[in-house]
Amino acid sequence: MANYFNTLPLREQLNQLGVCDFMDNSEFLDGVEALKGKKIVIVGCGAQGLNQGLNLRDSGLDVSYTLRKEAIEGKRDSWKNATENNFKVGTYEELIPSADVVVNLTPDKQHTAVVNAIMPLMKKGSTLLYSHGFNIVEEGMQIRKDLTVIMVAPKCPGSEVRAEYVRGFGVPTLIAVHPENDPERKGLAQAKAYCVGTGGHRAGVLKSSFVAEVKSDLMGEQTILCGLLQTGSILSFDKMVEKGIDAGYASKLVQYGVEVITEALKHGGVSGMMDRLSNVAKVEAFKISEELKDIMRPLFEKHQDDIMAGEFSRIMMEDWANGDKNLLAWRAETGETAFEKTPAGDVKIGNQEYFDNYLLMVAFVRAGVELAFETMVEAGIKPESAYYESLHETPLIANTIARKKLFEMNRVISDTAEYGCYLFDQACKPLLADFMKKVGTDLVGKNFNEGKDGAVDNSELVRINEILRNHEVEIIGTKLRKAMTAMKTIKTA
Amino acid sequence: MRQVIHISNLGLRFQNKSVFSDLSWTINRGENWVLGGESGSGKTALAKILTGKQSASGEVEINFETESNLPAQVLFVESWYQFKNVEGVANFYYQQRYTSQQAKETLTVNAELAHFGKEENLNFSDAEKLLKALGFSGLRDSQLIELSSGEHKKLQLVKALWLKPQLLIIDQPYTGLDIASRKSLNTLLDNIAKAGVTLILISNDEELPTCINRFAEIEDGKLVELESAKEITVIKEDFERTLPEFLKQSPIYSSSEIAKMIDVNISYGDKQVLKNINWEVKAGEKWLLQGHNGSGKSTLLSLINGDHPQSYANELYLFGNKRGSGESIWDIKQHIGLISPEFHWYFDATATVWDSVASGLYDSVGLFQQLPYTKAKHVDELVAYFGLTEYKKELLSSLPLGKQRLVLLARTVIKNPELLILDEPCQGLDKQQTAQFNQLVDELSHHGMTVIYVGHFEAQLPSCLTKKIVLKDGEVIANEEIIKNRILEEAYSIVE
Repeated sequence: MANYFNTLPLREQLNQLGVCDFMDNSEFLDGVEALKGKKIVIVGCGAQGLNQGLNLRDSGLDVSYTLRKEAIEGKRDSWKNATENNFKVGTYEELIPSADVVVNLTPDKQHTAVVNAIMPLMKKGSTLLYSHGFNIVEEGMQIRKDLTVIMVAPKCPGSEVRAEYVRGFGVPTLIAVHPENDPERKGLAQAKAYCVGTGGHRAGVLKSSFVAEVKSDLMGEQTILCGLLQTGSILSFDKMVEKGIDAGYASKLVQYGVEVITEALKHGGVSGMMDRLSNVAKVEAFKISEELKDIMRPLFEKHQDDIMAGEFSRIMMEDWANGDKNLLAWRAETGETAFEKTPAGDVKIGNQEYFDNYLLMVAFVRAGVELAFETMVEAGIKPESAYYESLHETPLIANTIARKKLFEMNRVISDTAEYGCYLFDQACKPLLADFMKKVGTDLVGKNFNEGKDGAVDNSELVRINEILRNHEVEIIGTKLRKAMTAMKTIKTA
Repeated sequence: MRQVIHISNLGLRFQNKSVFSDLSWTINRGENWVLGGESGSGKTALAKILTGKQSASGEVEINFETESNLPAQVLFVESWYQFKNVEGVANFYYQQRYTSQQAKETLTVNAELAHFGKEENLNFSDAEKLLKALGFSGLRDSQLIELSSGEHKKLQLVKALWLKPQLLIIDQPYTGLDIASRKSLNTLLDNIAKAGVTLILISNDEELPTCINRFAEIEDGKLVELESAKEITVIKEDFERTLPEFLKQSPIYSSSEIAKMIDVNISYGDKQVLKNINWEVKAGEKWLLQGHNGSGKSTLLSLINGDHPQSYANELYLFGNKRGSGESIWDIKQHIGLISPEFHWYFDATATVWDSVASGLYDSVGLFQQLPYTKAKHVDELVAYFGLTEYKKELLSSLPLGKQRLVLLARTVIKNPELLILDEPCQGLDKQQTAQFNQLVDELSHHGMTVIYVGHFEAQLPSCLTKKIVLKDGEVIANEEIIKNRILEEAYSIVE
């Protein structure tokens, strides 16, 4: 199979990368009508599968699950999830032939095998729904011409998809129709109806394309979302231990710090996060984040270039074919880091202390979010798509680190994200070696404001605030966040 | 030392308001106190000061008995217990306990108790007796998320009674407990008092353990001692007396059949929580639903409110339509106003009072839309009716629990629904507030609203109820007309 994006002429590449439309509420007035009475069959019943299915059924739609024979016979967790909530469950042969919409919610790595198994069973004119476009765009999966191919991707973990729906809201969602597979021109109407069924229409829906989703998703998750948070966490922890800060304290500061810091990012963007600092601290965080941006920019650009060229996915698929040799080695390495092995100490760290004593992470987050966003936009991805794949998802990933550190993060994210995260982390750490030599405990471990009188130069502060607030990620972010004002605060620690 | 506690010149201010000024209190050994008073008078704050969770000016002296074999500790059982999942996060939603999920989010009761026992060096066999006495043994393998509010209360009480600290303070010990559990609790409290525990109960109840021998309330920031629990002041709430016009309209029924269940069964794994339920509720009927803690009441109601995933596999008709025939849960909820202790528990307390009431129009937790002018006016009228106008811009979380409950009660009736589901609606309210709310229910039902009411205590029921269904261990053991003046005895007999 050839990389789909690379088969397109440049004009069409740009055309598909540029699909980006933040949809108005009025586009969803038809509700779930386009799927009413249709048989929706979901492949896989993990967190996304189960919770999306619960929502769709509660919206009056006909939902059942199909699982592999072994999962049914072995009464695996996916089978229990579905049957104990009274869903009909059957094998591919039993359920796919009568399905109007087949929803593929299996892990990315299994897509080729799953789609090859179900496609021959799908009835003429039915719809195949993905929540990630890797299989279509990077692996170049060819779907039968009579089938409609759409994407609906809720931009939150499965448990949130359910929690937000039952409280009468939803989670931001991205939808797309694959232009090669829309023979009856019904793809968009069905994607919108699916969105209403899961509650996504209430929290902001972005119409994108398979291409734009994949190229921005791969970039976001490996650079800012997972890679940089991993690099920053490990370097910060090691620095504190090196400088004699109590290891238990350091472990707690790093584990929960990203979450607390990015919670401010979620509500007020980069400037909202920076505003949590005192003026002197903000000036310092600005300076070091500028420096970090300069150091890391070539690496971000290389990652984006490799993603656009299909080089990243080619190498990753080689590793898949090689029994995940690199992935497993990197995973083991992450599990062995001192940060991972040091439990969080039994010390109380106040909310503000996470900012004041962890300036370095604030700088990492600003540098990473802005760089990822800038690099994506330069590559032809629209600002709205770039926002979702950089700033929007950062707090969600930080939340998984707070739960159980990096190992948990890497377990929860997709295989492609995990692979990309390690790839980035491996390259980024040596790049920052010189920078880290200069870092002291005032930036990580101790309160930066201590012993300073807090005075700053007026014009410098004004200039910094202007730069922060006028960045494009802030301007687009302000608009998009308005649509999701009702997002709940995540409570930890 | 004879004195267990000696407080003098205690002062506390909260948001520019004086809570305590110059408060004094001495508790001697052998004394067990009840502390009553109005919602918001500072009872909980005083308890928190004694446990060191709240600082204040003045002197607070606690003298533990060094000879005693009881732990030298003050334990405070809060009225609002927030459990967390295994990752330390407390993000739950109200319908979660009905959904079956293989990825386990919370600890089991057993694991929770084992953890507590280990931390406090306790003997597990002592806990067994308490579990039995409070009718809790059957729940040992349940996850915390699966417990009802009454069951969570019991779990907290089991821990406290097991630990037997030298000083035990319990905030609202009876909330959510059925009558039998309440009696057992009083016996258990008498036992630990005999063993040397000094008790402070924060409660406005009159049926107290016999060991209680001192009574007080907080008035104008000072402690006032009383002769008995009967003397605890009940403040008249400024409920406006005339019902807003929009609530005098009879609800428009889409069907004369509100709910019909035919051989309904619900189980989680091997545990069956509802067995062969047959029940029919017709438009305009007023039902009382009773049963002991854990008898399946909430599960039964969740079927009617569209909250239970297993309703799709049962023969269930709501508002004339078969469940699972293409309706959405929002189609169902628009006919219903619901409140339950669990709903309050999981409600988003970061919303304002006004928004919380208004969200009832859309059955959402949090308000996500603009209200049309007439609806906004209805919200204003109802907020005024409940005496909440001065709080309307405050966050729900900043109000005392009793007031929060009033807000959610207003939310329940805001859309003048066809069906009111009131699951222990008056938990946390005092007698006066309860009487007033029940009078509202009577008035609404007079205009034709259908009512399903869950309540353990006869004194707390509205008079409009005419039919009764009683559950025991998931089965219907009575489905009949209520014979007036006999509710009291019946209410007791079902749990014994």
